[in-house]
Amino acid sequence: MRKNESLVAHLDWPLFIVYMILLIMGVATVYSTAFNEDHPNIFDFSQKYGKQIMWVGVSLFLGLMVFLIDSDIYRKFCVPIYLFTLVLLVIVLFMPAVNGAHAWLGIGSMGIQPAEFAKIGTGLLLARFISNVNVKQQNIQTVLLANAIILVPMALILLQPDAGTFVVFTSFLFVMYREGITYDPLILKMVNSIPGVKFKQTWVGSHFIPILFVVVFLSVVTLLMSNETLEFSWLGGLEIPGFWSVIIALTIFALIMFLILRFFSSRRDRNRATFVVLFGYILASGLATTVNYGFQGLATHQKDRIELFLGLKEDPDGDDYNRNRAMAAVGSGGFTGKGYNKASVSSVESNHVPESETDFIFCPFAEEWGFLGVFVLFGLYMFMLLRIIMIAERQRSAFNRIYAYTVAMILFYHFAINIGMNIGFAPVIGIPLPFFSYGGSSMMSFSMMMFILLKLDSQRRDVLQ
Amino acid sequence: MNFDARKYVIITFVVLVGLIYAMRIFYMQVMDDTWTLRAQEIAEKRKEITPPRGVLFDRNGKKIVSNRTYYNLMMVEADIKNLDTVAFAKLIGWTREEVRQRFIDIREGEGVYRNKHTGKTTPNYQKIRAYPFLKELTLDEIANIAPHLEDFPGFYEEVTSMRSYPFANGANIVGYLSEVNAEEVDADHFYKPGNNIGRAGLERYYEKELRGRKGIRYIVTSAMNNAIEPYADGKYDTTALQGPALKLGVDILLQAYGEKLLQNKRGCIVAIEPSTGEILALVSAPSYDPNLLIGKRNISTNYPKLLKDPNMPLLPRPLSSEYPPGSTFKLLNSLIGLQEGVITPESGFPCNKSVVGCHNHPSAGNLADAIKHSCNPYYYAVTRRIIQQGKKRSNFEDAEIGLNLWAKYMHSFGLGQKLETDITGLRAGSIPDAAYYDKWYGHHRWAFSTIRSISIGQGEVMLTPLHMANIAAIIANRGWYITPHFVKSIGKSGPLPEFRKKHYAMVESRHYATIVEGMRRVVHEPGGTGKRAQLKDIIVCGKTGTVQNPHGDDHSVFVAFAPMYKPKIAIAVFIENAKGGGGLWAAPTAGLMIEKYLTRKITEKEREKIILEANFVYK
Repeated sequence: MRKNESLVAHLDWPLFIVYMILLIMGVATVYSTAFNEDHPNIFDFSQKYGKQIMWVGVSLFLGLMVFLIDSDIYRKFCVPIYLFTLVLLVIVLFMPAVNGAHAWLGIGSMGIQPAEFAKIGTGLLLARFISNVNVKQQNIQTVLLANAIILVPMALILLQPDAGTFVVFTSFLFVMYREGITYDPLILKMVNSIPGVKFKQTWVGSHFIPILFVVVFLSVVTLLMSNETLEFSWLGGLEIPGFWSVIIALTIFALIMFLILRFFSSRRDRNRATFVVLFGYILASGLATTVNYGFQGLATHQKDRIELFLGLKEDPDGDDYNRNRAMAAVGSGGFTGKGYNKASVSSVESNHVPESETDFIFCPFAEEWGFLGVFVLFGLYMFMLLRIIMIAERQRSAFNRIYAYTVAMILFYHFAINIGMNIGFAPVIGIPLPFFSYGGSSMMSFSMMMFILLKLDSQRRDVLQ
Repeated sequence: MNFDARKYVIITFVVLVGLIYAMRIFYMQVMDDTWTLRAQEIAEKRKEITPPRGVLFDRNGKKIVSNRTYYNLMMVEADIKNLDTVAFAKLIGWTREEVRQRFIDIREGEGVYRNKHTGKTTPNYQKIRAYPFLKELTLDEIANIAPHLEDFPGFYEEVTSMRSYPFANGANIVGYLSEVNAEEVDADHFYKPGNNIGRAGLERYYEKELRGRKGIRYIVTSAMNNAIEPYADGKYDTTALQGPALKLGVDILLQAYGEKLLQNKRGCIVAIEPSTGEILALVSAPSYDPNLLIGKRNISTNYPKLLKDPNMPLLPRPLSSEYPPGSTFKLLNSLIGLQEGVITPESGFPCNKSVVGCHNHPSAGNLADAIKHSCNPYYYAVTRRIIQQGKKRSNFEDAEIGLNLWAKYMHSFGLGQKLETDITGLRAGSIPDAAYYDKWYGHHRWAFSTIRSISIGQGEVMLTPLHMANIAAIIANRGWYITPHFVKSIGKSGPLPEFRKKHYAMVESRHYATIVEGMRRVVHEPGGTGKRAQLKDIIVCGKTGTVQNPHGDDHSVFVAFAPMYKPKIAIAVFIENAKGGGGLWAAPTAGLMIEKYLTRKITEKEREKIILEANFVYK
């Protein structure tokens, strides 16, 4: 009895409710997108929406199961779980290829993608491993071991090949960063091997992951904007070349950061904060300039490749077909959208946007609901991500915290890459939008991930560590 | 070490990505309409239905330009299965290489996607779209192919409409159609690549009327190019509307007869109904069969040939060729002399061959006889009196005033300017004025003796045959003309307002009787220069002209109208390089045309034979 009480009392309701809202919105979007006039019933299991509802049911059932099992099991059995997912990843390589990838395990139409579940196994083991390392985190051995935990499933996934999931696994680097497992020991060893140099810590090594993220993100955005001109009709038709709009955005951002830090940081940190902002601003502007002008200097075929990758090249029906169609669908949504079930570009029937019920599900959603809908959806995802980070930070147990971070970072990666694909900010590497895209494996794995988190959180007070 | 502060780095990233993405999407969805337009291009097909063009009737209700059904052999590459190239090539009568080449041409050339803003073109060939493999097949051609198309999945026939000319005459009147070019597509959103546009003649002048209104159906289409549903339940759809029929003043049988008479000659016949200004016939010889220029296939083979032909069949001579009018011009100088009062109907001048050459005839004792004999010295004297009226002491200043007055008269006859006829290719001709000669000789450095050739319609005076026929019409009307025009009515409306207005020449109608009498004598009195235009029961009034041609044989010209009272037809005939004067070739041609039009039959069979057999082109 007590257990059931705690189940309701200690459940993090805000997160659970957002999760449920996203599930419902996802099913509604799949229903609208894949709507088949001959089978109008949403519970028709021969249709994708019927199947999706079934997957939601299965996921919720799995969630209930997770809740009935004591959370200690994940900590205790994380090694067998990890190894089990690895075995599945090996087995799947011997399965017949579907769409050129050995990703599916199962019989007939009922199949699962082990790569989706490998995220959970890896996340659990990583949490267990890092939480067991004590103060001696800055140690080459621990860094290499932590990386090995990630790299083994990554290698197996690359063999399938599944580029999308492969990239998503790099989200664990953020978790390691949060826990202080960085590449600093490796860089220190290299730097200190120079005679006469004796560093205790290198700033670049410690913050390698976020720096890499910023560099990649800023470069991609700069390249994307370099061919564009923003026109502001409400500023009297003011036209700003893309590159300068990036610089202007950076400047505005730096000023805001400067003011925030000025008001909120302690007197002691104030000068350091100012220095970081100024230094960061100069470096970022320099990077944007280098990327912009360096790109102009590239050979044509290299340029072509990058342009195509970024969707800058005008090739509406060639290799860049998917992105062009997807962006047309999103961009045509307008402020209020075309209305539910009115998508003309991205419905499955019109088929202009391929995979519009799975990887490109954001297209029909944005086309039908417009910016208002997108705003709500972003609000929900942002709330979910920040809520998970909040939950992570309130855990007493390092294991729980680290696991929560893996969930947050995996969801963040999926969100950033999936939406980015639809708006020309990321290459098309086919990964689902969590809780939204049609598909059993992703629905079940994300749900299990979420319910394990909710379960761990609900029992956070039982853990002493 | 405590790493808790690092959560802020992560939170910053999450929030930053969310914000940047939201801004990007706001820009894409709300501020920038590029993607909206792209989406329309992708998913909403505007299916345009081009209506058949308006047809053309002659004055007697005979259809002279109509539409005929043709067929395109369409191809959808995605549907083609196991194409037996040999059998297919055999079916359409091509070689295997030609078939293969055609596939390459379609893939590279068809369906080019053109960005309207940048003007950049990118290939946009899609396997799932239909492209014409063969265009403009006739019923006979498709009849051989269509039954076997079942063996060639991916190919099917499609109906299209093109022009057809039942009479094969009047090519330079009706003009022809051809496909629009990129500039025309940009200039007028009516046109899409592949559409036809009027290139010459009435097809071009009345393009906006004839093309009609396109029907538009908006359809939501799939990536496989299948129509899914009418957009907004067809709310914005419009139906295609054929252009209105044009009724012409042209008598197609007269036109055909005129073209027959001018076979193997270069020249023109222009016939006008004086009371209405309607053009009855506008013959340009040599001409061509307008059926040669129907559709891309025909144009590509026949147009270059016609263009290279040294006799220039594509040139609408009656509108575009400027000739000296020769002696026919004496009619106008007579009228101006009378109006100015420098001569009277009874004025006589000796035929003094020392000032200007003439043929042998008795000296004219009055104006009518001067016309009858076409006496050059007589008109030298008349025109001298017009130009040098003695209003100024200086001969040069006097000539300046006189010539400008003379030019003003000429302009009032519609000369030296483009007539506002409803067709393209019109030329203005030239009537020299004082400024013109000042440029040649200098201000006040010329007088009548310098410019005397204008008195006999030579030298700097240039007219198109249309102008010449209009002169005949003015004299027939005794003083006015309605702008010569082709179209009597558009659809159900009557003549256009600009073709109802009478333009009066500066010569009062009382002066015409003498001239008309002179013209009668030309044809009907012994010694008249135009005897060969004589008809039994119809009084023909005419004037011959022989235009000296420094480059070859003289041109033969004749202007006339008939009957003398209540004239029904005014005509100008101009035959290039005819050996012999206006009386010999142009006059009998005009006579035959007049008889044909007024009586519908030809009595002077011998005369007709001579004209038909005459050949001034091939020697």
